[in-house]
Amino acid sequence: MLSGKRSSPVSRSGSESMRVKVRYFASIRDRLGMDQEEVETPTGTTLSALYEELKATHKDLHEWNRVLLAVNGEYMDPDQILGEGDVVAVFPPVSGG
Amino acid sequence: MIVVTKEDFSVDEVLNDIRSKEMGALVTFVGVVRGHSEGRAVEEIEIQVYEEMAKAQLEAIRREAMERYNVEEVAIVHRYGSLNVSENIMMIAVGAGHRPEGFDACRFVLERIKESVPIWKKEITPEGDFWVEGEEHGRKS
Repeated sequence: MLSGKRSSPVSRSGSESMRVKVRYFASIRDRLGMDQEEVETPTGTTLSALYEELKATHKDLHEWNRVLLAVNGEYMDPDQILGEGDVVAVFPPVSGG
Repeated sequence: MIVVTKEDFSVDEVLNDIRSKEMGALVTFVGVVRGHSEGRAVEEIEIQVYEEMAKAQLEAIRREAMERYNVEEVAIVHRYGSLNVSENIMMIAVGAGHRPEGFDACRFVLERIKESVPIWKKEITPEGDFWVEGEEHGRKS
């Protein structure tokens, strides 16, 4: 299992930061070559803002017009404010059944 | 009854598990691996699942279907891992007093699974491996 590197708990801006775990699935997992990573982000970051940060880090994410985002195993509003230790899942439209 | 498993399942066992004297209909849907897709031959498929979330979503869909259609019981079994052509992928069984609500609930469960449960298929073909994403087929692995 691949994981992101650990770094200081203080973000570049010097303000308070938190860590969240990001899990990737299906085609996104294949393309990024990792199934999860730890990400440091400013306290109060929303789900949609985190996804923008992830797209800035992983340019390949721009290939997906539509992704689904979940927090701690539940679909959440993009305005949802994340908390320390939250598990965010990023995945393409589903195809079970 | 919600099961997410690598193993194959027995349709009879699932039906016997939910059978009760209130039921006059056991409506069953079994999804299996089709040997072609989008003009390509499919050799096998691989199913990936976000297991914790999928189980919770399936349970929520089961409860919603039972309430909305007033059926007695809903069982959902979904497999993951590598599956050969014609193998079982998943099964929905609805135990209902009468057939109309049984059929309606079964279709409702299937459509909800297809839109919201975090499970994905990858088709292994002679032309390469392709992920299925919603209605779209074709992102190369």
